[in-house]
Amino acid sequence: MSPAPAAALLAGLAAAALLAERTISVAAIALLLLLVCLRAPAPRRRLYLVGAFVSGFGVFVVSPFVATVGWHVLWSGPTLPVLGRLDVTREELHVALFQGLRLTAVALAFAAYALLLDHDRLVQAVGFARRSVLAIALATRLVPTLERDAAGLVESLRGRGVEVAGLRGRARLVSPLLAGSLERALNLAEAMEARGYGRPGGTRSPRPSWGGRERLALALGTLAVLLGALWL
Amino acid sequence: MALARVERLSFAYPESVRAALDDVSLEVEPGEVVALLGPSGCGKSTLLRALAGLVPHFHGGRFAGRVEVAGHDTRHTRPAELAGSVATLFQDPEDQVVFTRVAAEVAFGLENVGTPSARIGPRVAQALAAVGTAHLAARPVAELSGGELQRICLASVLALEPQLLLLDEPTSQLDLEGAEEAIELAKVAGAAVVVSEQRPDRVLGACDRVLFLERGHIVLDARREEALAWLARHRPAWVPRQALLPGSGPAPVPCCRVEHVSFSYGETHVLEDASLEIGRGEVVTLVGPNGSGKTTLAKVAAGLLEPNVGSVDRNGRACYLSQDPGRYLVRERADEEVALAVRGDLARAREALRGVGLAGFEARHPRDLSSGERERLALAAVLVAEPDLLVLDEPTRGVDPERKDELAALLRAQAHTRATLVVTNDLVFAAAVADRSVSTVPAREVALV
Repeated sequence: MSPAPAAALLAGLAAAALLAERTISVAAIALLLLLVCLRAPAPRRRLYLVGAFVSGFGVFVVSPFVATVGWHVLWSGPTLPVLGRLDVTREELHVALFQGLRLTAVALAFAAYALLLDHDRLVQAVGFARRSVLAIALATRLVPTLERDAAGLVESLRGRGVEVAGLRGRARLVSPLLAGSLERALNLAEAMEARGYGRPGGTRSPRPSWGGRERLALALGTLAVLLGALWL
Repeated sequence: MALARVERLSFAYPESVRAALDDVSLEVEPGEVVALLGPSGCGKSTLLRALAGLVPHFHGGRFAGRVEVAGHDTRHTRPAELAGSVATLFQDPEDQVVFTRVAAEVAFGLENVGTPSARIGPRVAQALAAVGTAHLAARPVAELSGGELQRICLASVLALEPQLLLLDEPTSQLDLEGAEEAIELAKVAGAAVVVSEQRPDRVLGACDRVLFLERGHIVLDARREEALAWLARHRPAWVPRQALLPGSGPAPVPCCRVEHVSFSYGETHVLEDASLEIGRGEVVTLVGPNGSGKTTLAKVAAGLLEPNVGSVDRNGRACYLSQDPGRYLVRERADEEVALAVRGDLARAREALRGVGLAGFEARHPRDLSSGERERLALAAVLVAEPDLLVLDEPTRGVDPERKDELAALLRAQAHTRATLVVTNDLVFAAAVADRSVSTVPAREVALV
């Protein structure tokens, strides 16, 4: 399938998750997106899935302590400066589950976009805002590039007999990884400029025409947004 | 009329006191092939960037003089507007790839310069075929070897059919055959070519004229024959040398024995039934074409990869220096970087830094060092551990001939203390350093030792 309607379908599902008002609806959308993500090769999808679930779980765990909703108190804790009295109500748990699922669904939609779509064809397919789409495509590559750089760093250190273990060991790699990605970004920007990027009058490779599947994906994306806004 | 004219060009990068180029003047005629030689940091890449308009537009800095390319004054013309007339191939292929698939990558420049849509596909196919990579058109660039990626980048610039082709070490990751083809292709394309190289044997046979830079000055600008005579008199390390590799006889007391090893990355088989022995006290070079599994075999020998089939026996500690090691530095001081391998022993680290000519660099941030200095720092970071088996993967990439001679001398002087395996496409270096040389053939037929 052409990547543009597939991206529109994923965006529609993410929008539906944000617009839906029932927990069960958001859970169903998240489950659907999870099944889509599972089509990606296991080693590649792991980081994205972990990121999606950890961020959703984080919202679920933290938000009951900072929200003040409901009156069915399940647990009452100490009073802290700024935050006030810490307590957890049944309503807060429900809201936390809802917001956690929302974040998970949106993150899974992004994961499916990053893992399964051909970003080259997406950039070539768009008829407007090509620079923005290219910027998004390059940003999407940041995760796998950082993953590869991290693997290179770990291998380089192992080659010196230095094992990288534990959270602390891995945290030490963050700074060199960021420095490396900044260097890489500068080199890439220079190479793009030298290859005429930003010059007026650019053209595009011919785009493949859309078939029934592409039109269906676009229609389903639009339908998902409408359902999210009106019914879910 | 000259295609490119540089008049009294002086340039210093921002925050740099020293001029990268100092009063440089030259002309490049249409169709001419110019070899640009000189030690690391002499200003070769900066001169290429000036011809592409990237200096000063992209880098800023202090610029004096005039550069005119295809009738455009580069001070008034942005590099993107010069693209098409000028095409630049940069040193690191990994850092110039924009798209994730090969065909889209080659099409990128053509789209930017406004090539009619119907012509883009055929030009992409033609360029990929010219560099022998037509079969890679649909492949993700992340799956390519360094040599394959370098060919794709060459295809990307050839597809533009430029008048002036600027090649910055275009063969650093190519085997000899690939390197000769790359220079020949650039020549056949009919463009004027300015090619910077650290391996003079790869360009001196094909060029019309030679420029030699030192500390930002042109110290030689001569036709090839005259230049060869000058190099022989004044810079003998730069004269092309015969590469007579030693044979592949049996190893003395083996320090590492790899037997009947097979290895796959996912479904891609890289090694099949490969064997290799490296003896204590010898330097073994592993040579062979791109994509034949040299790096994988070296990693298996060093213990970084576990083979799917076969066995590896290793006596003592192994250290492995990866390709482009300057990219993988993690500490904020040079001595601390080196000390990592010896549990923070700064005294040993400083001794190792002295050993590679980096005395006085102890407190410097590794990322503030030049690329050549980073390579030496990375070398010190493995030598400090005094390994029983030292594995170096393409250690001469981007290193000038004088530094290569120093590295060869260092490895030879310390050879008796360990077993050394050097993976390289640089046959001149291999001949200078090796006691034994083994060669990979396409992975399915690997039969080493």
